[in-house]
Amino acid sequence: MVDECHRTNHKLRAVAKVETKTSLAKGDLRDVLREMLLIRRFEEKVEERFRAGDLPGFLHVAIGQEACAVGVCRALEDGDIIASTHRAHGHTLAKGTHPNELMAELYGKTEGCSHGYGGSMHLYDVERGNMGANAVIGGGLPHITGAALAFQMRGEPRVALAFFGDGATNIGTFHESLNLAQLWKVPAVFVLEDNKWAESTPESQHSPIRDLSERAKAFGMKALKADGQDVEAVYKTARQALEHARSGKGPVFVHLDCVRLHGHYIGDPQVYRDKDEARKLAETRDPITMLRGKLELSDEEFEELDVEVTEIVEASVEFAKNGTDPAPEDALKNIYA
Amino acid sequence: MPELSYREAVRDALATAMRQDDGVFIMGEDIAEMGGSMGVTSGMLEEFGRERVRNTPISEMALAGAAIGAALQGMRPVAEIMYEDFMTLAAEQVVNQAAKLRYMSGGQLTVPVVFRTQGGAGWSPGAQHAQQLEAWFVHIPGLKVVFASTPEDVRGLLWSAIYDDNPVVFFEHRTLYGIKGNVPEKIEPIPIGKARVHREGEDVTVIATGRLVHESLAAAEEAEKQGVSVEVVDPRTLQPLDEETLVTSVKKTNRAVVAHEAVTRMGFGAEVASVLQYQAFDWLDAPIERVGAKFSPLPFAPVMEQFVVPHADDVLQAILRTVNKA
Amino acid sequence: MATEVKLPRLGQGMESGTIVRWLKSEGEQVAKGEPLYELDTDKVTQEVEAEASGVLLKIAIPEGEVEVGKTIAFIGKEGETVAVEAPAPQPKVSDTETVSDTVQEPEPKRVSEPTTNGRIKASPLARRLARERGIDLASLRGSGPEGRIVAQDVETPAPAAARPAAPVPTGEVTSQPLSNIRKTIARRLTEAWTVPAFMLTVSADMTRANELVARRRELEPDVRVTVTDVLTRVCAQALVRHRGMNVQYTEDALLSFPNANVGIAVAAPQGLVVPVVHNAEQLSLSQIAQARGDLVGRARDAKLRAEDLEGGTFTISNLGMFDVDQFVAVLNPPQASILAVGATRDQVVPVDGDLHVVPMMTMTLTCDHRAVDGATGAEFLKTIKTFLEDPGLAL
Repeated sequence: MVDECHRTNHKLRAVAKVETKTSLAKGDLRDVLREMLLIRRFEEKVEERFRAGDLPGFLHVAIGQEACAVGVCRALEDGDIIASTHRAHGHTLAKGTHPNELMAELYGKTEGCSHGYGGSMHLYDVERGNMGANAVIGGGLPHITGAALAFQMRGEPRVALAFFGDGATNIGTFHESLNLAQLWKVPAVFVLEDNKWAESTPESQHSPIRDLSERAKAFGMKALKADGQDVEAVYKTARQALEHARSGKGPVFVHLDCVRLHGHYIGDPQVYRDKDEARKLAETRDPITMLRGKLELSDEEFEELDVEVTEIVEASVEFAKNGTDPAPEDALKNIYA
Repeated sequence: MPELSYREAVRDALATAMRQDDGVFIMGEDIAEMGGSMGVTSGMLEEFGRERVRNTPISEMALAGAAIGAALQGMRPVAEIMYEDFMTLAAEQVVNQAAKLRYMSGGQLTVPVVFRTQGGAGWSPGAQHAQQLEAWFVHIPGLKVVFASTPEDVRGLLWSAIYDDNPVVFFEHRTLYGIKGNVPEKIEPIPIGKARVHREGEDVTVIATGRLVHESLAAAEEAEKQGVSVEVVDPRTLQPLDEETLVTSVKKTNRAVVAHEAVTRMGFGAEVASVLQYQAFDWLDAPIERVGAKFSPLPFAPVMEQFVVPHADDVLQAILRTVNKA
Repeated sequence: MATEVKLPRLGQGMESGTIVRWLKSEGEQVAKGEPLYELDTDKVTQEVEAEASGVLLKIAIPEGEVEVGKTIAFIGKEGETVAVEAPAPQPKVSDTETVSDTVQEPEPKRVSEPTTNGRIKASPLARRLARERGIDLASLRGSGPEGRIVAQDVETPAPAAARPAAPVPTGEVTSQPLSNIRKTIARRLTEAWTVPAFMLTVSADMTRANELVARRRELEPDVRVTVTDVLTRVCAQALVRHRGMNVQYTEDALLSFPNANVGIAVAAPQGLVVPVVHNAEQLSLSQIAQARGDLVGRARDAKLRAEDLEGGTFTISNLGMFDVDQFVAVLNPPQASILAVGATRDQVVPVDGDLHVVPMMTMTLTCDHRAVDGATGAEFLKTIKTFLEDPGLAL
């Protein structure tokens, strides 16, 4: 696969034409819902397949955080890049990777987006501007600062955007990367998907402050907030942030309040979480339900969408199952350029 | 032939690359006005400006990681980690990220970044400012590791490292910055992965890196007087290792000494000895000797430091042991 | 447990002392603090006190120079047994090196055995060279650390070199670089040549010796006794009767050996070797024949072991089979003498006024004059002649 991004005069092929409006048009919202539902059904399928023993390794699903992924990625323009976290399936799909390639990667097939080399936490789709998921908390943050630096030095109108969780706001790379990004005023956006849980540790137990936006302010960085379950709000806020960064005014911290509806990893019994609280959140803070409500979709209309995306998801499993296993010796390839 | 110091040679490679290539830039702590803690980047701020000679805060992870991020986007950054000891801080980015991005992405990503750093004892820097950690990095698949010992080599190899599409950990040695040597008029790139025979000999091969190359040459002179003919080889690149040159030499002399300033135990020399043992087993007339620092953190007091760190005489004794003249 | 009495360090820098005499005898009661023995150090002769009470069970070193720290006696309870260190084995100093296969260390190094518990120490390179050349490592002596056999020890001229060289095309001078063995031979013999030596020649009537050999072969056809075996037996018996011959000169002392270890020079394919028949004075003629047969066979197969080549106190070199009448052999250092034996030829000898044809064999004895005087050598040679002419005296 050709990595075009690393050439000085790159030409990123656009896979999905992105609207350059400040907010989502009504006509787009159905599309947005479909996208979020696709992610939801994909993640549910992943959970099912994992429990069935199909999928090696360990996985983290983004169920409940679909609005963050879709809302932010829709706001990006051609040439913008993202770096994700360990909970990367949503971002990866939202950034344009086909479900077939993602599922194939989870199955460890050569047709996977990382050709079987990476798996769930190392999903890369460079052609589509996805610089990758990262198994190390905060591992990708400095790369975003560096990418933004490169855009700045070359005078390119591109933005580098990082996703990360509340747990990551405590790690060294977070502070170092934001500090440096603000110091050099690089065109970066740092998106905090604050689901209030760092694996099994609630935010109240990992952070001495309650409002994590304060951390950005500590670096003198502009901080924006939005309800991460409201995809329209997410989009609007993301647009603002990108506009700010792109115009050379410096990086922006986007604080999204979101909800992780399932456990940290597939199979996590969440013994540390209040079952009633989780149920209540599922009822009141599901982004898909919320958008569906806003659109006032009938059951039939929703069903139609659901069938559509479920077919795509099931096809992706078929695609993956019929995929090609890498040759064992392939393990020794791709180590060096 | 012009003469440059090792320090000037490093600068020459950086500056020449930056002059001809907008994609090359340097970042590190105190590299701007101060010209770097070792004076390597002296004068470069004036020539290239703040955009391309970037002082960073004391943030090794961001420093290394941003260099990686820029490299992923097609730049060729050279990040300076002030002391080899601080590579421990940058290590998460160097080891978990740079070394593995190409691999994990199935070949999609290229990481043409250079991490320059320096170490070296002999001036009572204490345990946290003189470590030689090349053994850690040669152990990581995905990284290339270079350690040059002369002005000509350091210039030619840094050039190659900058233009190598892989992440390179480029070790310099503190005590060598001042040494002078002849260099070609124009920079001649030296291929990464090629050793250099400094001195030919018949009785024993000494494979040495960094400062110990010079100690070994001195030991070889002394050994010559005692009737022992010594061949001195500098691998120059530690990963990938030029096994062919090393093995050919040992098959000729039938005896080997591996010398480095780093702690002997579990060091780079152990790997070299293993390679030689395996590939030249039937040619060995004596056990392979290893010379390195004793197994302790580096002490502060000069007499203790002197004791721990290897010198020419240690190499000489090792040479003599191989020919049973110790 | 008995207390070991060790020679104490009585002063800084003291490394050894000389026990002059013991003030107590074995079996006597000793009280702690009582004077036990007299010790001569560099500075003074003094009495040394016992450090324990009990019975002086054993005096390990009755007198002489002892290193500090060495055990010199044992004090304990009556009836206790003590293990005394076995006396050092037969001096390795008198090694009859196989000139063909080993290289002697130039420095006075302790001669080391390459075998430890049956395992031969050899470098990988040495092993490969030995393998490639069909040389048995066991026949080699190592010059490396701890007796390790190293490449140098293996380098021998290829077997082809021992055969007569192919005819050189006329007009061409060829030059063959010296092998290590050749160099060693040259060095050792040059060394030996510098020893002040004298030669004594005698001829013996071999009539009865030949009869003995014939009779033996009839009686024990498998054993194949030879004249050399008779010579070995005779020389061994002569050596124990002339102990002044079974010696070796060293810078500090004259070493005298209790056993006659007779070396027999053998022209093996790889060169001259001198395997040793140990304790030959205790062996019967048949036993000597068997030992000799075994050694010579193994020498020819390059399967000699280190112990086969060590410990010799005398050498017999017999060139009779090559029709040599008489010759002078070069000493085999550090041995004090060597007997060169020529062919047995019928000669006309006057016996009581009549002329008889008698099988005569001429022998020449070369002696190290630093260790052996003319008279001693002469008497020894006379005994050999006597024994050969009347073998019954030696059997």
